[in-house]
This record gives sequence, C-alpha cells and structure tokens, in this order.
Amino acid sequence: MTAIAPRPSTRTAERLGVLADIAERRRADVAAELADRALADLGRDAALAPAPRDALGPLLRPGLHVIAEVKRRSPSAGALASPETDVVSRARAYVAGGASIVSVLVEPHWFGGTIDDLAAVRAAVTVPVLAKEFVVDRRQLPVLRAAGADLVLLLSALHQTRPLRSLVRAARDLGMEPLVEAHDPRELDRALASDARLIGLNNRDLRTLLVDPDHAVRLRASVPDDRLVVAESGVREVATVAGWRAVGFDAALIGEALMTTGDDPIAIRARTAAFVAAGRPPSAAEDPAAADRTPFVKICGVTDVPGAMAAVRAGADAIGLNFAPATPRVLDERTAATIIAAVRAAASPPPLVVGVVVDRDPDDANALARRLDLDALQLHGSEGPETIRRLERPVWKVLHLPPECADDAVATVAEAAAATVERARSYLAAGAARIMIDTAGGPFPGGTGRRAARQLAAAVAREVPVMLAGGLDPANVAGALVATPALGVDVAGGVERRARDGTIVRDRRDGRPRKDAFKVGLFVKRAKAARLDRPLSDARPTPVHRGLLDVDARGRWGVEGEFGGRYVPETLVGALVALEHAWDGVRDDPRFWAELRQLRTDYVGGPSPLYRADRLAAALERAADRPIGHLRLYLKREDLNHTGAHKITNALGQALLTRRLGKTRVIAETGAGQHGVATATACALLDLPCVVYMGIEDVRRQAPNVLRMHELGAEVREVTSGSATLKDAINEAMRDWVTNVETTHYVLGSAVGPHPYPRMVRDLQRVIGDDAATQLRWVEGRLPDVAVACVGGGSNAIGLLSRFIGEPDVRLIGVEAAGEGVSTGHHAAALAGGSPGVLHGSRSYLLQDRDGQVIEAHSISAGLDYPGIGPQLSALYVAGRLEVLDATDSEAIEALRLVTRTEGIIPALEPSHAVAALGKLVGGLRGHALVPDDAVVLLGLSGRGDKDLGVLEGEG
Amino acid sequence: MSAAAPAPAIASPGSGTSGTAGAARIRATFEAAKSDGRTALIAYIVAGYPDGDTSLAAALAAIDGGADVLELGLPYSDPLADGATLQHASSVALRNGATFERSLDLLARIHRARPTVPLVPMAYVNQAVGRDDPEAALRRLAEAGASGLILADLTIDEGAEIEAAARAADLALVYLVAPTTAPDRRIAIAHRSGGYLYAVSFVGVTGARRSLPPGVGAFLRDVRARSPIPVAAGFGVSRPGHVRQLGRVVDGVIVGSALVDALGDEGDVARMADLVRGLAVAAQRDLTPRLPPEV
Repeated sequence: MTAIAPRPSTRTAERLGVLADIAERRRADVAAELADRALADLGRDAALAPAPRDALGPLLRPGLHVIAEVKRRSPSAGALASPETDVVSRARAYVAGGASIVSVLVEPHWFGGTIDDLAAVRAAVTVPVLAKEFVVDRRQLPVLRAAGADLVLLLSALHQTRPLRSLVRAARDLGMEPLVEAHDPRELDRALASDARLIGLNNRDLRTLLVDPDHAVRLRASVPDDRLVVAESGVREVATVAGWRAVGFDAALIGEALMTTGDDPIAIRARTAAFVAAGRPPSAAEDPAAADRTPFVKICGVTDVPGAMAAVRAGADAIGLNFAPATPRVLDERTAATIIAAVRAAASPPPLVVGVVVDRDPDDANALARRLDLDALQLHGSEGPETIRRLERPVWKVLHLPPECADDAVATVAEAAAATVERARSYLAAGAARIMIDTAGGPFPGGTGRRAARQLAAAVAREVPVMLAGGLDPANVAGALVATPALGVDVAGGVERRARDGTIVRDRRDGRPRKDAFKVGLFVKRAKAARLDRPLSDARPTPVHRGLLDVDARGRWGVEGEFGGRYVPETLVGALVALEHAWDGVRDDPRFWAELRQLRTDYVGGPSPLYRADRLAAALERAADRPIGHLRLYLKREDLNHTGAHKITNALGQALLTRRLGKTRVIAETGAGQHGVATATACALLDLPCVVYMGIEDVRRQAPNVLRMHELGAEVREVTSGSATLKDAINEAMRDWVTNVETTHYVLGSAVGPHPYPRMVRDLQRVIGDDAATQLRWVEGRLPDVAVACVGGGSNAIGLLSRFIGEPDVRLIGVEAAGEGVSTGHHAAALAGGSPGVLHGSRSYLLQDRDGQVIEAHSISAGLDYPGIGPQLSALYVAGRLEVLDATDSEAIEALRLVTRTEGIIPALEPSHAVAALGKLVGGLRGHALVPDDAVVLLGLSGRGDKDLGVLEGEG
Repeated sequence: MSAAAPAPAIASPGSGTSGTAGAARIRATFEAAKSDGRTALIAYIVAGYPDGDTSLAAALAAIDGGADVLELGLPYSDPLADGATLQHASSVALRNGATFERSLDLLARIHRARPTVPLVPMAYVNQAVGRDDPEAALRRLAEAGASGLILADLTIDEGAEIEAAARAADLALVYLVAPTTAPDRRIAIAHRSGGYLYAVSFVGVTGARRSLPPGVGAFLRDVRARSPIPVAAGFGVSRPGHVRQLGRVVDGVIVGSALVDALGDEGDVARMADLVRGLAVAAQRDLTPRLPPEV
C-alpha cells in the first residue's frame, strides 16, 4: 500500500507558492528513489534503527525549550553555511548550549540537506532529532526513521485532514513523534484534528516566505493547552524567546539565527545557550512573588506505579489513592502499598500521599492511614466537622457544589457561595487542613469528572482557602487557575487514557483507569505556569470588601465607592479611557510582565533584599524600655534599586506602556526627584524624549537629582506657581498633558490621579509587598504581624501593603509626614489632618480649607510634601483597615541618623518617617494596639538618603 | 474590572439641568441675541481680580460693553485647566483675600445692578465637593443670582451628584466638550448640559491665542449639529476676528483670558471695556463679511 498525497490542483499550487514547487519536486524525488521499494520493506529497515528517543519528555519540563536547527541554505536567506560545513560539530555545539532537540533539514534542493546529515547528527548527539522534511508520501516516514529520526515534521498545508491524521498515526506507529505545523487558522484546524500532540506555529508564511514575528503569538490563543506548542521562525533577539515562553509556547524552533552565527563551535554554543536561558522560567530567587502564586497540584486516583511515577516526574505535589468501595479507581491495600513505596523511593521530597475515603468509620480510617503511612486523608462523603476531630492525620475535606447552582442566576450563585463558605469555615474550624471544591451529581463520589461551576468556585475561593477539583484537564486548568483564587488543583479523569471517542479506557487486567503520562506531565506544567507571568492574578482568599482591593467599573474604590473616579477636563477623558483599555490589556499580557520582570532582575537589581535589622530593632526596643532582642524587624530594601528608590518599577512599566500606546513623548512630575530620575532613566533606556516638571522649591532641596535628570537627557522644567512643590508640578504636568495629549504619555509617579492611574501605579508597585511576603516566608515561615510604610501620595505604601490587605491578621500602618506637628497646621498628613475632596483628578483625602482651596503641605521630605493621598489608601483608612501614624520633621531626621549609625544604611527622609513612627509604636501609642514583644515587622525602606544629605547639613 | 468607555447617556428626566429656571434664562438670552442677528457674547472675568471692587467694575463694564452672559471665575488654588493668565489672576485674587463668601457677595452685587444678564460662576469641582455641604454651596450661588455653573474638571461621568444639587438649586450645569471628545460622547454631553454647551476650541488649557487652530470650524460645526441647546466656543478666543469667524458656526463665543489680560494687575477697566466693545461689534452678524465655508 502506498499513500501518495494527490498532486495539487493548479489553484492549490498557486495558493501554496514556493511550497508547491518544493512539494512537487519531493514527489518526483520519491517516485524516482523509492520506485521499487514497498512500504513493508521500508518498515523493516526502520525497525533496525536505534530506538527512538523520548521527544516529548524534555518539552514537558517547565519553560520553553530550544529546538536548534541545522540547515545549509534556505529559499529566504540563501546560503547559510559553506558546503563543507561540519553539521556534526554544529549539532554538538547546539546540545552543549542546552538545545533539547536538534532539527536537521533533509530536503536537498532548496535547503541543501541530506538524509546523511540526519543520520550523522543522530549518531553524534544524545538528544532527540527532528527530521525537517517535506513529507508528501508515507514511504518517506520509515526512511527517516531508519536514518534515526525521533520526530518528523508534517506540514498541515500539504495535506487534507484525513490523510494528515493517517500520516500522524503512521509516524507514531514507527515510534516518531510528529510535529504538525500550521500557519493559518484553517491549517491549524487540520493540525488539531490530526490528533498531533506537538503543534508548530510558523511565523513564516511558506508560500511567500515572509515573516511576521507576532503571528505565532496571535495564533497561540487558538491552540488548546492540551498540546505542546512550538513557535517557529522569526527569532532575532533573545527577548522574543522570553516572550514566547510567557505566552505559553513549550519550544522555539531556531534555525537562521543560529546558522548565521558562523562555524565557531564556541560561538554557536554561546548563542544557543542565550536562547535556552531566555526560555527558562524565572527561578524563585528571581521572582519570589510567583512562588506565592504557584498552585499545589494533586494527581488523584492513581491506580498503578507507572501512573504514580508520571506524577512524580511531572513534579506533582501530591497523589491521591482511592479507598472508596465500588468506585472505579478503588485500590486494594497491597497495590496501594506498592505504589506508595515506589513514590517515596523515587523522589526527595516525595509528593504527599493522600488517601481518599467516603464516610468511613474514623477508627477504621485511622487504622488505614497508619498501615499505609498516609500523609493525609481526603473525605469525600457526607462526613461532618466532628469526624475531623477524630482523625489522626491532616484532613482534606471535599465539599460538593450543588449542581442546580452551577449555571444559575447571580443571586443563586451568591447564596450557594455563602452557604458553601459557611460549611467550609465549620470544617476549617474543626481542624481541616484543606477544603476541596467539587461539583456533585456524578455517579462516583471519588471525583465526578464534571466541570466545576467556575463562578461559584471563585466566589468561595475568595473567602476560604480551597483547591479546585472536578472536570479539570490539561486544556482548562490554566484558565481555571487564572479565574479562581484557588490554592491548588486536583485532577483524576482529566489525565487518564481515553479511547478515540473520549471514554476512559479501563485496564484489561484490573478494570481500573490508567494515567496518561503525557497528560499528567502537561497538566502539571500548565497548572504551575498558569499564574507565572500574571502577577495580578489572585491566588489566595482575600476576605475583605472588594472595594478595598480593586476599582469598580467607574474607577472608584471603597466600601461605598466613595474614592477615586476621574475628575478631569473633558479634553483628557479620551486619553484616560484609551489608557484604561491599554492597561486592561497589559494586565493580562504575560509578555509585558515577563519583560518587566527581566528588567527588574537584570537592570533594576531586583528583587530587592529583605534585611533583618537587628541592631536597629534593639535600638528601638531600648528607647522604648522593652526587652532587647525580641522584635524581628525586616527592611524591604527598595533603596538598593537602580536609581535608589522604588519609583523605577513604575517608571519602567509606564515607559514600556508608552511604546504600546504609540505615544512618542513622555512627561512626568517629581517631588524629591526620585520619580523624575526614574522616569528619565527609563526614557534613556527606551529612547523616549522626557520632560520632568519639578517645583522650584524642590529643585533647590534636591539639587543632585536635578543634575542626574539633566545628564540622563531629560528636560527639567521648574514650576513656580502655587507652593512650587510636588502638587504644583502635577498641575503643570497635567496642563502639558491637556495640551499635548495626542502625542504624550504622562508617567504619573504616585498612586494618585484620575482613573486608571491609582490602579495602574498600584499594579506596578505591588511587587514590593508580593516579593516581601515570599521572602519573609523563607526566613520566618509566615506573614508579618505589622507592615509599615511612609505615605506621601502613597505608591510605596500601597505597593508594600497591597499583598496584605486581604490578610486579616496583618496590621497595615501608613505613616504620614507631620512636618512641624499636625496640630501646628504645618504638615502633610492628608488622612490625619485632611478631609475628602478632589485633587488631581480623583476623590480622596486632602488638606483643604472650608472653601475647598487646597492647603499647602509642609514636610522636610520632598517626597511626602504633598497635600493629597491615593484613593485606595483613603478607602482603606475609612474602612478601618489602615492605621495611620505620623512623624515630624525632627523625628524623621533623628530616625535617619539612627538607621545610619546602627545599620550602616542611609535611608531617605521619606522612609525615615516610617522608622520614627515604628519607634513610637514600639514604645506604646494611645489609641493603637501595642506591638507584641516577638512581633515580625515589615518596613518599606523605599529609598536611599544620599539626596537628603544637603538637607541634613542645614539641620546641624 | 475593566470599565467600559463612558456610555453616551441621552438626557432623561432624571439627568441634565435643561429644565431648570437658570437654563431657561440663559436660553432666552441666546434666543434674544439670535433674533437681534448677533452671536451671543460671553465675557469671563475672575472674581476678586485684581481686587473685589475692580472686579465688580469690570463685570459691569463688560455687560455694558455688550456681553450677553457673564462668566465669573471663582479663584482656585490649583486651576489645572487654566493657562498662565488665569492661574496668575486666581493667585492674585486669593492673595488679595478672595473667598467663596466674597465671591457670593460680588455675584449678588452684579445681579442687583444688571438683573437681566445671566451670571454663570465657573470653578473647579473641589470648590463644591470639598466643602461640608455642596448642595448648600450651589443653593447660595443661585440665591446670589447665578443662573448656571461651570466646573472645569467635571465631566458627565462624574456629574450626576452635582447635577442633582444643581437641579435642586434651579441652576444650569454647563458641561464642556473638546475636540478629543468622541462623536457619541459629544451627543451625550450636549444632552446633559444645561443652558448652553461649552465647546473647547482647541486641545489645551485656557489662554489667549493669536489665531484659532486649524480644524476648529469642522469641530464646532459637528458639535453644533449634534447639540439641542446653544453652543458657545471658548478657549483662545481673544480678537474680534475670532468672534466673526466663530460666529458663523456657533451660537456664542466666550472670551476670558484676553479680558483678564486687558484688565491686568493694575485693573484697567477702560482698556478691558474697549476690548469688549470691539468684540461686541464683531458679534453683529449682519456686518460679518462672508467667509469661505472652511474656517
């Protein structure tokens, strides 16, 4: 039986362009070369080839992997290597650089490849090899396998759906993994219908040979997550590969960019290694906050050792073994013991082993857990809270969501959620370690296989810690984790072997379902990557009013929606709406966050360290006449960032956004000069012209920063109106923006201003507290008791505190600048000494007289010398979630000196206010709870004090 | 939590201030100017600039020089929609003791002296909402003789609360429309504005300009076509030529910074009155030479 793809019609040939010529020529080649060879005959040759290498395993590991290609020439680039180039040494250099797969061009006429190249490379390397061939005839497959191919390329453009499917099957029967490539939605539909597990998306249109580097990214959204996806062509820079990883590609096929490196193996290895590094997901040290969002993954209903080992290899955190009689995955104790022994021998630390039981007598369950040494018991029946108290192991309680609420009206969902939350709390109160949410109604209580009611699950997960179960599979798990703040996921049926019609295949010997190792691997990979480059996705319960966490549809914050909004001249509304939409897009764009994180690690020097300041803590304790050595005070060292403060994160984020908005000019305001310097720096880096407005009073106080901005190429415009400080600089920047709104993006430096600014700046700065939470967990194993930050407009404060708003046990403290004292009227304490009104485009607290005239603020610290405060902080204050303290000018100076002398760190005057206030709190403040002796305190050291030395000089 | 673009809201009985007595007085004034063959001339001066007495004299002189409506700027500490001239005037007025109470007093004196001329205070939103009782502030403006109110940083998206207070006080709340306002939104604003619709002639802050920007004609014609109420163009209007040019398209013109410049710190009421008279002559449509259609 020979299966030759039919000769294309003339119309098809026109549509296919160059590709048609190549395919035609290949057909002629096959006819000539394999004329006398039967398929069965060729198959015998293939069977003699070395065993195929596992091609999918390497791609199932976290991150994006490099498929490095050998090709002598291409129709688009011409000759890429000299005829005598050593493909074997090149392939070895690829592997030495970390390539996971080597691709070898086999086509002779356009690409100068040979089957001998393939065989030589296969013999020389240890990784799988992809045969890059134009397969037009099924007989080519065994020939390629005989030469050693582990994977084979199939072009969806060359085949209709059914022939493509049969080629896929034929390749797999030979032991080769087919990579099915598509360039447009129609080709993609065919590729998906072929059941290929490996889908290639080509940026190059093979008909025209033109490359659109974003093409594959756009098409990626149409590929379900249950396939491995490869991006092909169009790589110029390392950053492109990093972006591909972030949007969910598992591999990048890189040819030209490596071929043009030349023949020097060391250079080739280095170039390969750069791409490989770009595909690697950030480590926990590079992105601590991501570790905090990474879900717990449990593979449930494991029925044999290979299934358990698949879970171990995939990096699952737990496996579940079913002991519920009359369910399909129920195990006898001997089989269970074998599985447990294998798992515990294979991994260190091994995944938790959880026993699933249904309404089992507690004594009986305890005996089972003791016999098998189970790490936890999962209760799947109608056990009440009292059962939990009688069990000797940690208990995971499954709550079934009533099916009638699954897709019902909002009111019903809210009611069902409230009822479920109440039940969950009763189990948690009884000592349950975890709550699992599953839909009910299926025939088997051990995992119903029904899709969980996502909306309801999300509502519950916002209130109590839960894991999602039911209806999950590799295709939908990432979406579920982005949509639901669940701590983890549990899967059984979604990763099992299935027949072509979708039914679960039972093993012939014991009648139990079996895990599909590919699905298990992909499920874990997709789950662990779901929130990786989505720093704004919720990953845990936040049981506070939504209005304290985010804006409503009108850009307002607060329980009553009483803060924020958009009070601006009509001219700016269009730009603000456009900005809001752009930001909404960015919030969900992993490429943006991956790029920003890369800048944070490589350029800013983040994540900033968390430093335990024992000598400072002791000094505060001594001054307060309290026992020494109890307080554990951690400084979040944002002062160590490039440019010396937290501001750079926001400036870089908004500068990247400026490019996306298509704006060509940047303006900013600055008080202390930190935001001005940060914006000037970001603009120098991204080559954007930059104008910074600065009050002349601040120009005088912060001369070094003015010089820095000049040297960075920014224009500093002195503002003389009003109090000639930060407030007036914002006014002037707004006027500039009103006038130049069509070309200019205004990089506002604080979490103030019209919507979407307070939210956008918060989104960018919340990395401070998100990172600190994980860093603190590493050293203390828990969250802080108190988080304290200074407050001017509030970008540093909201950045540090956001992570903890939904953590009821963490005290949040904002420290305002009291200037000469709040009672003197010469201060900058907007919350303590102000009232609600509108300043700079949003409704919030501000200093004002009874006519609504804004009163000038007074503070020795230019960064706090602002009469307003961000709307989210106002909302937190009014809701009682934010405690407000203050420190005077002289207290701040004293604190600056204390930190400098005790720790050798010169803090800026701004965070010195926070230190001063903490000192007062440790000593005991009327109206504020005492800090307990052994408290863990997190303090935002938002900037360094070099800029303030001149001011200190004047103070003696 | 994405907020959709502010949806165009066509006026309903519960929104807008077109039904207020203040709006009716303003509309009658525009109609009277129209039947006289004139573009309505709206003069803007700053309350208390350069001092209280002079600003009273300036207001009366502007009215006597031909202004149909008087906008009275209430000086503000942070006038971010204003250019250099009005920022300066605001800060001088505040330094010289301008307060809300004194502005009310000035308003009342102007109203007593020229009761038929609609008075429209112009301020910033915090001058209303930053006070203990915004409703009382609006009521007192109305009692002092105001027919309308303009808040430079209030848009229809945030206006519902102030609109309700304005309706209670029988004041027209005048909204602004800008060249950057999307077409649907222009309609929504026109239907929510009371008395007249304030068309900002260019993208920028207030301030006298030598010439009007290109494209202003097309923008104003578009707004005029969409608005059920009179349209007055402001920002940058300073010369009789501007008034003639704009008068072909809109129902009224607003002159502010140019008058404040003419008045100056020295309070040259006569110089300002001369300018008003010149502008009033230009507002006479019969004398207007025909212009090419694209202005």
